[in-house]
Amino acid sequence: MADTVPSGRAPIGPRVLGGVVLLAGLGLLAQAIGEAVERGITVDGPRLAPLIVTSGWVALATAYLIQAWKAKPAQDDGESAARTSWFVPAALMVALVGYALVLEYTVVGYVPATAVFFVVAARLLSSRPVREVILRDIVVALGLSLVIYLAFTRFLDIQLPAGVLPI
Amino acid sequence: MSFLPNLFDGFGAVLTPENLLFAAIGVTIGTLVGVLPGIGPALTIALLLPLTFNMNDPVGALIMFAGIYAGAMYGGSTTSILLNTPGESASVATSIEGYQMARRGRARAALATAAIGSFVAGTISTVLLSLLAVPMAKFAVMFRAADYFALAVLALVAVTALVGRSMVRGLMSLSLGLFFGLVGIDSLTGQARFTFGSVNLLDGVNMVVVIVGLFAIGETLYIASRLRDLPATVAPLEPARGFAWLTRSDWSRSWRPWLRGTALGFPFGALPSGGAELPTFLSYTYEKKRSRNREEFGSGAIEGVAGPEAANNASFSGVLVPLLTLGIPTSATAAVMLAAFQIFNVQPGPDLFEEGSPLVWALIASLYVGNVLLLLLNLPLIRVWVKVLQVPRPVLYASILVFATLGVYAVSGSIFQVLLAYGIGVIGFFMRRYDFPIAPVILGLILGPMMEEQFRRALGLANGDFTVFVSRPLTTVLLSLAVLAVLVPYAPRVVARIRGGQATKIALAEDD
Repeated sequence: MADTVPSGRAPIGPRVLGGVVLLAGLGLLAQAIGEAVERGITVDGPRLAPLIVTSGWVALATAYLIQAWKAKPAQDDGESAARTSWFVPAALMVALVGYALVLEYTVVGYVPATAVFFVVAARLLSSRPVREVILRDIVVALGLSLVIYLAFTRFLDIQLPAGVLPI
Repeated sequence: MSFLPNLFDGFGAVLTPENLLFAAIGVTIGTLVGVLPGIGPALTIALLLPLTFNMNDPVGALIMFAGIYAGAMYGGSTTSILLNTPGESASVATSIEGYQMARRGRARAALATAAIGSFVAGTISTVLLSLLAVPMAKFAVMFRAADYFALAVLALVAVTALVGRSMVRGLMSLSLGLFFGLVGIDSLTGQARFTFGSVNLLDGVNMVVVIVGLFAIGETLYIASRLRDLPATVAPLEPARGFAWLTRSDWSRSWRPWLRGTALGFPFGALPSGGAELPTFLSYTYEKKRSRNREEFGSGAIEGVAGPEAANNASFSGVLVPLLTLGIPTSATAAVMLAAFQIFNVQPGPDLFEEGSPLVWALIASLYVGNVLLLLLNLPLIRVWVKVLQVPRPVLYASILVFATLGVYAVSGSIFQVLLAYGIGVIGFFMRRYDFPIAPVILGLILGPMMEEQFRRALGLANGDFTVFVSRPLTTVLLSLAVLAVLVPYAPRVVARIRGGQATKIALAEDD
C-alpha cells in the first residue's frame, strides 16, 4: 500500500478537520485554565476534570493532525472524497434550522411547518424529476404531520404549536 | 434458586392484559422503526422515549421499552439481511452472510434462523441474567467510590480501545463525549462549567439530544452527501412454502451456532468490553473456521447468520448485568435505557434490588415475554416488514428528520435543544464522514460525570490521598484491566517486534 504511485492530490479533509478540532480544543483548554487560575484548583474540586479532558483533546487532535499530514495521497480517503456532495447536507441544515425557527417564532403551527419542511427535505434528498414525485411527497407530508399532531396532542398529552389551522 | 419467587412475582406483574398490550405495542413499534435502514436500537429507543412521558406506571413503560428494544434488534437484523445496510456495528456480521443468502433466494431461511436464534439466545441469556443479578447486586454493595471510578475507567477504555479501527479516533470521540459530560452545573459544588454564559446549558447536555443529533441528524446528512451510491435494491422474498421456514438441514446447521453465539455474547456483554461488536465478529470468525461448509462462507452460509445474531442478542442481556446491578452502561443502547429509567426516577444499582425489587423483576420477566412475542409476531408478519423496507429513500430520510426534531422538541420543549441537536448532527456528519466511532461519545457523556464524581468522592473521603486507588485489591484489578485493554490492540505488533519477525496486524474485520 505504501508504495503505490501517488495519484491525485493528498486528502485535504482530515487535515482541515484536525486543524478545526485542534483550534476548538485550544479554545476550551484556555477557558479551563482561566477558570482554574481564577477559582483555584484542588484534586477533588470541579476544576481538575476540565483541565484533564481539554488537555487530552488537544494532545489527541495534535496526534490526529500529524497522522493526517503523514498520510499518503490516494489512500482509501481520496476516492470517497470525490464522491462526497457538500451541497445537499448544507441545504438540509438550512432547511432544518429554518423549520425549527418557524416552529418556535411564528404562528404558522406544527402541521403546515412540518408539511412544508418535509416536501423540501424530500426534494433535496431525491434524484428523480419533481413532477414524478411531488404529489406523493405532498400527500405523505400532510398525512404524516396531521397524524403526528393529533397523536401527540390527543393521545399523549404533549403540546405542539397549533398555529393557524383550526385543529 | 432464591430468585424464583421474585421472578414469579415479576411474571405476575407483566402478565396482565394491559401490560401484555404494552409489550406487544413495544415489540411492534420497535420492529417497525428498527427495520428502517440506518436506525439502530439506541436511536429507536431515544426517538420513542416521548411515547411514555405521560404514563403513570413505570412498570408498563419499562415493559414497553423491553419490547421496543427486542423489536428494534430484530428489525435491525431484517434490514441487514434484506438490504445489506446494518443499522449498527453489531449487525454488520449478520449482514455478511445474511445478504448473500437473501440474494440466492434464501431470505426466509436467513430471517428465520436470525429470529429463532435471537429467541434462543435471548431466552438463555435472560435465564443467566436472572441467576446472576442478585449475587452480582450483593457483590456490588461492597463497591466503594474508588471501585466505581476504576470500573468506569475500565468500561470507557475497553469500549474505545477494543472497538473501531483507530485508537486516536476512538479516543477523540471519547474526549468529545467527556467534554459534553462536563457541560453544566457540577453535581458536587454547584459551580457552572463550559456553559458559555447560557442558562440553557446549566442542566448539561441531554443524552437524547446527543443520540438524536449523532445517529439521526448526522446519519441523514451523511446519506445526503452520498446519494449516488446508495444500495437501493431490497432482496426479494421468495414465495412461502407453508410453515417450513427452515429445512431439516438448516436446523441442524443452526442450533450449534445459536448456542455458541450465546456462549460468546453473554459474557462479553456482562464484562465491560464494548458491547456486541466484538462477540458478533468472534462468532462469525469462529463459525467460518469451524464450519464443514466453509466453502459456502461468502456466498450465504446459514451458520454465519445464526451465530452472530445469537451473540448479538445474548450480549444485550449480558450488558443488563452491569447496568442493573452497578448502574454502569457499557453500550450506547444501555446508555439510552439508563436515560429511560431515569425519566421514571429509577436509579439502577445495588439498591434497586432492595428498594425497587418488584420493578426490576417485572423488567426481567418482560424480557422473557418480549422474546416470545417477538417470535410470534415477527415470522408471520415478515411481509409487512419487507413493505416497510420498500419506502422510498427521500420519504424515509425526510421522515427521520421530522421525527428527530419532534423527539427532541417533545423531550425538552425547548427550541434551543433542537438547534443543539442539529449542531451535534453536523459534528456527527463529520465523524461519520471521517470514520470516527460514535459509541465512545455516548458512553463518555454518561460515564464521564459518574467517573469524576466517584473520583472526587474517593479522594475527599481519603483526604486527598491518592493511594486510595491502589490500596484495595478490587480497584487495583479493575485499573490494571483498563491498562491491559489499551495495550491489547498493540500486543501482536509488540510481540512481533520483540521476536524480530514480520509484524502481523490483527484486525477483527480483516478475516474476509
